[in-house]
Amino acid sequence: MNLFQRALKNKQLVVGSVLGLVVLALGAFGPLIFGAYDTQDLLLGHKPVGTPGFPFGTDALGRDLAARATYGIRISLFVAVSVTAIAVVLGTTIGLIAGYVKGAVDTVTSWIVDFVWGFPLILVAVLAAASIGSGLVPVILAVGLVNTVAIARVVRGEVLGISEREFVVAAKAGGYSSVRIVFRHIVPNVIPVALVLSSYYVAVSIIAEASLSFVGLGAQPPLPSLGQMVSDGRNFIRLNHWEATIPGAVIFVMVLSVSLIGDGLRDLLDPRLRTAVERASAT
Amino acid sequence: MSTVVKRVLLTLLLLQLSSLAVFAAIRLSGGDVTAARLPASATAEDRELFREQIGLNQPILTQYVDYLGKVVRGDLGNSLTNNAKISTLAVEKIRNSLILGGAAIVLVFGIGIPLGMLAAFRRNTWLDTSISSAAVAGMAIPNFWLALLVVWLFSSTLGWFPPAGAGGFKYLVLPALVLAAEGIALTVRMTRSAMLENVGQDFVRTLRAAGLSESRVYFKHVLRNSLLPIISLAGLRVGQIIGYALVVETIFGWPGVGQILVNGVLRRDYPIVQFFSLLLVIVVTLGNLAASVGYTLANPRLRK
Repeated sequence: MNLFQRALKNKQLVVGSVLGLVVLALGAFGPLIFGAYDTQDLLLGHKPVGTPGFPFGTDALGRDLAARATYGIRISLFVAVSVTAIAVVLGTTIGLIAGYVKGAVDTVTSWIVDFVWGFPLILVAVLAAASIGSGLVPVILAVGLVNTVAIARVVRGEVLGISEREFVVAAKAGGYSSVRIVFRHIVPNVIPVALVLSSYYVAVSIIAEASLSFVGLGAQPPLPSLGQMVSDGRNFIRLNHWEATIPGAVIFVMVLSVSLIGDGLRDLLDPRLRTAVERASAT
Repeated sequence: MSTVVKRVLLTLLLLQLSSLAVFAAIRLSGGDVTAARLPASATAEDRELFREQIGLNQPILTQYVDYLGKVVRGDLGNSLTNNAKISTLAVEKIRNSLILGGAAIVLVFGIGIPLGMLAAFRRNTWLDTSISSAAVAGMAIPNFWLALLVVWLFSSTLGWFPPAGAGGFKYLVLPALVLAAEGIALTVRMTRSAMLENVGQDFVRTLRAAGLSESRVYFKHVLRNSLLPIISLAGLRVGQIIGYALVVETIFGWPGVGQILVNGVLRRDYPIVQFFSLLLVIVVTLGNLAASVGYTLANPRLRK
């Protein structure tokens, strides 16, 4: 069975991808269909789901929740995907260098990693917001820094393990250059780990951005961040719960989709783990 | 053992650096700290005078040494917003946060481990499928949204628990549950996969061949071999739980470290932000240290 056929049989991967495509489609086409996210009309405030012209209803200021939620998807995905892409590239590079070169480079890298590891993500973001002010920039910096370090940490461990395997030792004995060994023999073995990690960190980033916007330290109004929409809506939970439940559900579906894809990829790409589970299930 | 000693020394050095980093980060703040204390009508000279009074005109390193000296003498400074002594505030806030965090940890392991064991024991049945799916959903649900949903259900609709505040057991239930949710889901998954990993091992076959009942094999021998990674996860989880506590305490108005810290940032009350974020960094770093030392001690293969 080739990789694609196996992917189609992987339920988590399939369900996650379908959910992900729905979210992507909403983010891509929603703002085009529903129009501006900041058109206010106080006479149209607190409309429930299914109101003609407002499929998701409206918020306290009469703004279209469908337009806001779908635009919120864009903000959320923009932050999560761009931050994770940078973190994966940087983190993998740092991890590769530290794990392959070892010695002083590795020691210093590990110190830096341990140093950053002492700061919980939300705290880093709070400190970033304290020093440069609330907004999307501190969120991006904080999530990027912490995720880069987390990825470097895992990749370094993998590289340390791989460099002791026979095929790397043989390549070294064969006199191949370090560059060739790293790119031909080590990188291909690290890519699956990096892929699985990146889906996990997209999920972490989505939640972090939403949480910070929720407490008021993330995206600032009138930008419609999903976290902030939940925060705005919670005051009216008895009056019109949709204002808080819809943006929350959107975040939930986004994170669920990415986590399912991550779990599916792990089963698909990491044969060690798969055989361990299969062996266990077979007994 | 030298690995452990080295690790401890390194941690102390890291803490020193962390405190300097936090200290500098807050001082590089572009915002106006005087806004926390002085009225909007204060003149530029008033503001400058105030900065001088609280020592903000000195170089950062001088301020840092001053601060450390005061901390050693037990003086943690005062809040800029209401001039309350931070040492007094700290005792109360730390106690509240420990209560909330402790309750959450009890829930994480008290619910997570048994459910994970059950899922592994009845693997590939409807029970396993429902527990595992719930765990996947539990990890994906943003905790501030979960908070809102439980308040809506248990407080606004059913009226079982108060929506926010502190004072007695009733106030603790909802925040502790929300704070624990993601940890419970993760523990279920960890326990299940650690147990399934161990079921494939030779010692299990031997025990089965010796005629032990399936439940005895699982709940005694396999479990014992699976606990190490789960427990060491606890140390590493401290950071995560503290991060989430910032959000959960803010939502439920739980008067702990997280709430005062977030409010401090919003009000630019920098002595508060400085002390409480340092406190969190120390706790997390010590948690990481405990996890790695504990793991080394418990696993003879890692000792040097």
